[in-house]
Amino acid sequence: MEQGNYLEMANSMWMWLAAGLAVAVVLFQAFIFARKSYSTGLEIGLTRTQMNDAIKSSVITSIGPSFVILSALLALLVSLGGPLSWMRLSFIGSAMFEMMAASFGTQAVGVTIGSDPMTHVAFANATWTMALGSIGWIVFATLAADKMDKVQQKFSGSDTALMSVIASAAVLAAFGGNSASHLIALNKNTVSCIGGGVIMLILSPLADKRNIKWLKEWSLFFALLGGMLIAVAWPF
Amino acid sequence: MNENTYEKIYLPYIIKWGRRTNWLGVLLSFGPAFMLAVVFGVVPPFTAILNGFIAIASAVGVVWFVEPISYFPIIGVSGTYMAFISGNIGNLRIPCAMVAQKIAGVEPGTKEGTIIATLGMAVSIVVNTVILTAGVAAGAQVLQQMPKPVVSALQLLLPALFGAIFTQFAIKKLTLAPIVLVISILVALGVRAKVIPGFASILGVVFLSIAIGVFLYKKGMVK
Repeated sequence: MEQGNYLEMANSMWMWLAAGLAVAVVLFQAFIFARKSYSTGLEIGLTRTQMNDAIKSSVITSIGPSFVILSALLALLVSLGGPLSWMRLSFIGSAMFEMMAASFGTQAVGVTIGSDPMTHVAFANATWTMALGSIGWIVFATLAADKMDKVQQKFSGSDTALMSVIASAAVLAAFGGNSASHLIALNKNTVSCIGGGVIMLILSPLADKRNIKWLKEWSLFFALLGGMLIAVAWPF
Repeated sequence: MNENTYEKIYLPYIIKWGRRTNWLGVLLSFGPAFMLAVVFGVVPPFTAILNGFIAIASAVGVVWFVEPISYFPIIGVSGTYMAFISGNIGNLRIPCAMVAQKIAGVEPGTKEGTIIATLGMAVSIVVNTVILTAGVAAGAQVLQQMPKPVVSALQLLLPALFGAIFTQFAIKKLTLAPIVLVISILVALGVRAKVIPGFASILGVVFLSIAIGVFLYKKGMVK
């Protein structure tokens, strides 16, 4: 009945206001945490150079993944409008989650994103589903953050080497798990995953051994780009 | 005195403000739904909201617990507050935290590591917001003119990122990494064959890997 109209609502000032407030909280938190971390870092013996280098490397590292997220924004924009897509990808969720939540939300009122025309109610239900589906992370993380610290302290005491082994094992498992699903897919994703790994295997020791600072900062970026290009060029 | 600054001043500050901002974030995530209801009078039927919630909760419910636990050892208390309010964790926050730690020459899981990870993640939040804001300002029309091959090629960045980060850590833990990789692949195959339930599997691999890591460390086989 009122199809098409929902985008006026979805792109209205009010939605920008709601989205802007949420993004502002994320930025505010990042700002106060960074400020406190910088000053505490100086007090516990980190140097300005160490911290400034960390900041610079993080800018470089953010660029590649941010463009992947931007391409997800493009996919969401069409059906969810600007404000909601922009908010959802700067706040709590991730590209894959938001697509899934949006389609579950509209399906609950019988609208399939992409094939059926979106209705006001379907759009509203998508916003509800995305909100309800994502607060689980933040609620659990917020309740558990300080408790997990106590558990970790108790478990490893002041043994920093053990702490580092635990952290490395967790990272290896998390990213090994993510890689494994691409590795067994045996398609372009597999090529990209192996490509990224091999480039890192070459660049990382090279940068460390010769102490080439710019290469340390850019090696992940090169691994991403190289892995992607090899996969694009791969003949299947 | 160093000890005191981190434990007695830094952590309490982070916990106090982390809780405040994150609870506010929970509230504000309902902002769009609230606007639609109050300004436009659009409220879905309760059953539709419930069905949407049940569908998404059964798909990702386990991940609500898996991710905070798995990533905690790398990013610490402050990083945990930040990562889960800003999202895009595995594909952006964690890589930034880790590269920052590597460049600064600090170990994850230490005080220094937590502080550097926090700086790295804060920067990634700013960069990501700037790029997305520029993107959304450029508008759908401009973005949609991005050629299809470019869009599909961008999707191939992610597997490369996972492979590269795994390798970066594997280089430092040559004994542990192959074991974890083999377990991960076996579990992934198990999930594909529907022998192992999907999301529970990641947490299983994380705990198993930590257990093996600690065991090898105690035996002196991993440093």
